Amino acid sequence: MERRPAPEDEALDRELMAAVARRDERAFARLVERHLGWSLGFAERMLGARHDAEDLVQTAFLRVWQGAARWEPKAKFSTWLYRVLHNLCMDQFRAQVRVGEPLDEELPDASPGSEERMAGMQREARVRTALAALPARQRAALVLCYFEERPQAEAAALLGVSEGALESLLSRGRAALKKWLQDELQ
Amino acid sequence: MDLNRFEDCAAAYGGERRRWPARELELYDRLAGTPAGAAILAQAERTDRFLDAYAPAAPDGRLSRRIGALSRPAWRRYGMPAAAFAASAMLGFAAGFAQVRGDADAAFASRLLLGPQSVQEIGP
Repeated sequence: MERRPAPEDEALDRELMAAVARRDERAFARLVERHLGWSLGFAERMLGARHDAEDLVQTAFLRVWQGAARWEPKAKFSTWLYRVLHNLCMDQFRAQVRVGEPLDEELPDASPGSEERMAGMQREARVRTALAALPARQRAALVLCYFEERPQAEAAALLGVSEGALESLLSRGRAALKKWLQDELQ
Repeated sequence: MDLNRFEDCAAAYGGERRRWPARELELYDRLAGTPAGAAILAQAERTDRFLDAYAPAAPDGRLSRRIGALSRPAWRRYGMPAAAFAASAMLGFAAGFAQVRGDADAAFASRLLLGPQSVQEIGP
């Protein structure tokens, strides 16, 4: 999965957003190119379904395009985009609770290496199911801190909690995953 | 006391140093190499490995194009397909019209070639 842009590129994000505010389509395309990878990864891990994640990310970037003129570079662009994505995820959770949604039906694949790929898909499906079973805030904390490796202060601010409360969310989330794993092995 | 805190951090942040808060790195460095610390980290790493299996695929070009198109005004987003549709409709109409005329010409040619079946068919 594509990683987040390096911190030294934050200045570039600010320049691009200023250009997007002037309705520069190429700057918007560049911004999408830079941030689409991690945005999609974040949304997919939060929602557990690729198709939903794609729609959500599209909505988030539409907000970027529409809101660029009002954007003030007080925080990093990526932090702002995380907040947009996170809020959209929470809206979606409130609208519909999808827990343990199965993977799309896949036809059996008999090509070389297919067993390995199938095993990988099964492992991924287990994580997806286990994450989906967590309360939304624990899942968000794990996705932000574990998968996205956001600094604790930033993740706590995004979730609107103290760093101590964030640590508690992470501990409870990981404890639930550990129990889920143990139950599955028995 | 330190080991308790070390255990709490491993339970929250996992076994990898880079995910620990900066303020706890000294504790990590001090205890990770001890038998008790290593056992705690090994436990946390089991959950890490489980989570690491979930790596969503990179976005494909179709999604990038779809999102990139959001910045274009609607007439440009839908204008090209609409123009293509109109052009193909006009081409179809022209081809059909030419065929009808072609059929009429063919009927006339066959009459000329084979001769009229009745006097009325010749017309004035």
